Amino acid sequence: MAESMIRVRKLTKRYQRGGETLTVLDKLDLEMEEGRFYALMGPSGSGKTTLLNLVGGLDTADDGELIVAGENIAELSADELAHWRAANVGFVFQGFNLIGVLTARENVELPLKLTPLSSSQRRQQAETALKLVGLGDRMDHRPRQLSGGQEQRVAIARAIATDPKVILADEPTGDLDRKSAEQVLDLLVRLNREFKKTILMVTHDPAAAERAQSIVHLDKGQLGRIEHNQPVGAAR
Amino acid sequence: MFKLVVQNLLSHPIRSLITAVSVAVALFLICLLTSIVTTLQSGLAAASATRLVVMSSISLFVDIPLSYQERIAKVDGIENIVKWQWFGGYYKDQKNFFAQFAVDPERMWAVYPEVKVDEATKQKFLTQRNACIVGWQLAAEFPEWLETGKVPITGALFPHPSGEAWQFDLAGVYRSEAANFDNRTMFFRWDLFEETLKSTGDAPGVGVYVMSVEPGADIERMKAEIEGMFENGPATVRCDTESEFTRQFISMLGDIPMFLGWIGAGVLVAILLGAINAMLMAGREQTHDVGILKALGFTNSAAFGLLIAQSLVLCLFGGALGIGLAAALEAPIALAIGSAFPGFFIADSTYIQAALVSLGVGLAAGAVPAWNALRVNCVEALRAKGA
Repeated sequence: MAESMIRVRKLTKRYQRGGETLTVLDKLDLEMEEGRFYALMGPSGSGKTTLLNLVGGLDTADDGELIVAGENIAELSADELAHWRAANVGFVFQGFNLIGVLTARENVELPLKLTPLSSSQRRQQAETALKLVGLGDRMDHRPRQLSGGQEQRVAIARAIATDPKVILADEPTGDLDRKSAEQVLDLLVRLNREFKKTILMVTHDPAAAERAQSIVHLDKGQLGRIEHNQPVGAAR
Repeated sequence: MFKLVVQNLLSHPIRSLITAVSVAVALFLICLLTSIVTTLQSGLAAASATRLVVMSSISLFVDIPLSYQERIAKVDGIENIVKWQWFGGYYKDQKNFFAQFAVDPERMWAVYPEVKVDEATKQKFLTQRNACIVGWQLAAEFPEWLETGKVPITGALFPHPSGEAWQFDLAGVYRSEAANFDNRTMFFRWDLFEETLKSTGDAPGVGVYVMSVEPGADIERMKAEIEGMFENGPATVRCDTESEFTRQFISMLGDIPMFLGWIGAGVLVAILLGAINAMLMAGREQTHDVGILKALGFTNSAAFGLLIAQSLVLCLFGGALGIGLAAALEAPIALAIGSAFPGFFIADSTYIQAALVSLGVGLAAGAVPAWNALRVNCVEALRAKGA
């Protein structure tokens, strides 16, 4: 049995909407192994993105324990959480979330500015990440000069530039055509298999989910079934 | 991050340019207005408290008799006395207006040691009846005087008996080292003035007498004695120190410092509102980017810094433009408004003050968007629509 990368215990998240309290995650228990590729599925409002945001330290839980990469992130202050995110998590969003005024290389270099690397080292590392995602010839292009698939690959390069332990992807193929979606999924699978990244991907697409090693189903803020496309530990 | 700051500003070049130029214009105006006040005040500050000025108690525009000079000179404590008369002429055209005074040449430098001329100029002024001296700023304005050595002045108040312009020979150029004595005035000899008027039967009066006093002299006693001396005379007089006289002269123009201060404050408020508006727009547009930065691990303080830095870069750039423009145009402005504000200059403290104003506007304009960036929740920021 591999070590746990994400451990969730009685995790609760509520939102206030129009004077009503909406419980999005209800005492959720979940454990995810290091180096495994998970797909998170469920109907709209089931709490998938909320869980992803909590695991990535973008939002804070109301109750429960949340240990990611060995850190109980529920106990961290806002600044500590920011530093923790920079060191441990890479994000890939549905809408790519690249900064429009920067080039592909500058976007990938951004998280590296939070590391002690020198300017030339940062540049080199960003170029390596862009070459890895097949965009070595698009480094000086701005996001609007790239296709959707290319933008998402820049986002993946940015997510892996700091060599994080966990990659969190929120509908990474949601805005892409089939061919681009396949390229992005191929990349995520490669990052998992070759670089042993723990990946948690929210998706509505069963075909995309099939590329993961495990599919976790959420329903009304609670854990449903867990399917294993490959036996636990098979990819290791 | 600095690159991101610059790129964000360049992503809306017209808006950034308009904001920077408006800050530049405002800072240029603030430099100009402040310098007018500074120029007036420096004249006041440099005016001597130990030099006395005697004028008519009715008005500066009412002459006092020539005969008073001898009696005033006998007052205990008077060192030297020089008389001044406003000539009110012009050079060729009425638009070429500047001050001209008829003075006692031999006593001029005894009373005003801060007015410097070379020895040849001094000797020519002391010995040649139609000689005149002009300040260096005036000489720069009319370089033909230096070329020809002739200064023809049409007397508006005192027309020449010939009906032509008064003809003066330029003895040389003076340079004042004190702010109370400007470098844009012309002086000519009293004896020429008096004799020319007398030839037509007129008897010239005196505008003011200016006296230097002996060290340690009792100024208050001297003032009282001089005023009392002519209490029952043909023209009563008022005696003040030069600094008090200058203060009253400036007050004749109205409360200029306060008026200019209000204009400056208005300009400042207008530009501040403009800069705040521009930065609020930038802040709203960049909320999504702030969310991205926070997701990548940048702290709330870094998000705050991004917005405040943009505001500072924009306002300091605009400020530098305005200050640079003011510095570049200092001499032409001094020439243009020299007749109204002789000795106009921009003090170093004005440049520093203007730079601090740019800094303050930058901080104030960026404060609200930067605070919003600091406080916004990462998830909410990522949901915001990008620029």
